[in-house]
Amino acid sequence: MSYLIASDKLGKIGDLYVPKAGINVAALLAGGFITELAEVSTTEEEKPAKTKPKKAPKE
Amino acid sequence: MATSTYLSSPVVTVNAVDLSDQCTGATVNINYDQLEATAFGDSSRKYVSGLGSHSVTLDFYASFAATETWATLKSLVGTSTTVIVKPTSGADSATNPGLTFTGTFLAALPIVTALGALGTISITFNGGVFTSDES
Repeated sequence: MSYLIASDKLGKIGDLYVPKAGINVAALLAGGFITELAEVSTTEEEKPAKTKPKKAPKE
Repeated sequence: MATSTYLSSPVVTVNAVDLSDQCTGATVNINYDQLEATAFGDSSRKYVSGLGSHSVTLDFYASFAATETWATLKSLVGTSTTVIVKPTSGADSATNPGLTFTGTFLAALPIVTALGALGTISITFNGGVFTSDES
């Protein structure tokens, strides 16, 4: 999980926040000092198969 | 004779939040249990160090504004965190040590209010590991 600084009492607003050992991250979130950074997926979405659907047999 | 005068530059951080502009006092107690180690043949009592038993008392103004004292402390009651007290805002050094208490416990959050006066919060963190960061 990644966090962004939301208060200048913690650091520069907008910078990535990496909590050191012993820091209560839940309290920082509850107090509005940091926000969770939405995870961006690095994997490509699975593309649909390029196979054409079979034509229905002629009657 | 070198002395330290605390006017306006000490730095107090609680859970990594800089609360210096709301803090009016800090009392740091670095204590170790004193265990007696005197034995037959000794002519005087001897002691060795036992468990650390440290505490930090901090005096704040009770600000309920966003990201101030209340927002910082309300979620820390009943939990452990890191508290750092430094003589000045300069870099850590032998003459400006960061007195660091890691894993120190906050048991209570008393708020004192009075008519016509600024509200105050005086809290004590107990226990945890003490280190003096000097570099």
